[in-house]
Amino acid sequence: MDEIKEQVVTLLTEALQIGPEEVTEGLTFGDVPQWDSLGHMMVMAALEEKYGAEISTETIAELVNYKAIYSYIEKQSNGL
Amino acid sequence: MAYKKHTFPLPLIVPEYLIGEVKAKLAYVDENIVSGQVSEKGDAITLILRDELTSSQIGALESKATKVAEQIVKSAFKPRIQILEDHLDREVPCKVDPMEQLINTGEISKEAQGIYAIGPLLTRLIDYFDSQFTDLADSFGAAPYRFPTLIPASYLEKINYFRTFPHSLTFATHLREDLDLIQDFSEHASCDEHGIDVSMNSFSKIQAMLTPAVCYHLYFALADKPVPNDQLVATAVGNCCRYESSNLVSLDRMWNFTMREIIFVGSKEFVLENRETARKRMEDKFAQIGLAYRVETANDPFFIGEFKQAAFQTAFQLKFEILASLPFQNSTVAVGSYNYHQDFFGRNLKITLSNGKPAQTACVGFGLERMAYAFLAQYGVDVRTWPANMREAIS
Repeated sequence: MDEIKEQVVTLLTEALQIGPEEVTEGLTFGDVPQWDSLGHMMVMAALEEKYGAEISTETIAELVNYKAIYSYIEKQSNGL
Repeated sequence: MAYKKHTFPLPLIVPEYLIGEVKAKLAYVDENIVSGQVSEKGDAITLILRDELTSSQIGALESKATKVAEQIVKSAFKPRIQILEDHLDREVPCKVDPMEQLINTGEISKEAQGIYAIGPLLTRLIDYFDSQFTDLADSFGAAPYRFPTLIPASYLEKINYFRTFPHSLTFATHLREDLDLIQDFSEHASCDEHGIDVSMNSFSKIQAMLTPAVCYHLYFALADKPVPNDQLVATAVGNCCRYESSNLVSLDRMWNFTMREIIFVGSKEFVLENRETARKRMEDKFAQIGLAYRVETANDPFFIGEFKQAAFQTAFQLKFEILASLPFQNSTVAVGSYNYHQDFFGRNLKITLSNGKPAQTACVGFGLERMAYAFLAQYGVDVRTWPANMREAIS
């Protein structure tokens, strides 16, 4: 597992309180009951806390699936 | 009763965009708080307290109020407000709060905090605005419904209302079926300034509440079955109750108010397209009324623990509020909103489409007393200062 994938899995399992086996690359907002509106904001809060960058309302609306979160973390890790 | 003012510093800064939110929630912190304010800089709180309190009681209040501010600040994301319509610069003649004149002329009478009886002028104005909203509903071919003022407690639990808005709930109860108890009540019950002086044990377990919204009743009526023809437009007007503690100070914030709703149920495209069409049609109607207002992205007043959802609503543009100008205090009041719930009700209540997916819902809601209050704040209580078409409409 690459490092960023590991971070995404950790982030989603901790924020949504789901098992790692539920975090697939196709996982999208609403696919599991825990990823509802409140769950989504828990994910955003965890991202903000972990990477220190202020999450904008546009970002909240964009990061609605595994792939988008992966790209976001990748950019943050590269200091972009 | 002697009130005492108490100011204390906060260990954090409340950002400007959250000051109103923290202030509104301070009312729920403790029964000894009459009202609360957050300083302009967001670094201190001032509480107006009901009684002389001991220093340890004041310390406990400070701690609770600080916790509220901390929780809201911690769970908030800075919103980027999108403005969809801006007619706040529409010229209006009045800059006076109509409340004093309305009370002095007997046009409204305050029965208790947040509870008002309304006289003929306001009633005619409210009826006129409702006729405009009914016209809007008719333009969609909306089916008329009537819903009760009571709603089963289990309904509100099912849609998560207990968690999201517990502070605004209003409970309905009755005396327990017990002859001795009922006779005792009839002979001895009396009211003081705080309410009925009787043991809570006299009351039944709460089965019903006063409904906080009109559209919930429709979603429950549609529960556990497919939506006929995959789409529905309905309308209803009804009494709604939202308790707002010491924030209930004027016609712009009533415990018991009237709401007209137009409700869309169907696919995502169907409900979103109709929500947008409703907004555009209302833009013309508000121009005819002469209302100074703005429409912008907003969020519901979630309770502290669920405040995170506020940013979700803004980010996904789930709520657009119609903010009417209150020129006398250079502020606005929400007189209505255009709401999109995604598949929240469809999923929770098993309202389905023919493809097996949960139905999506949207609603357009107007607070009738607030509409009338905002209009009077902009045009005055004297009908001679109103636009000619409004004078004619009311006469």
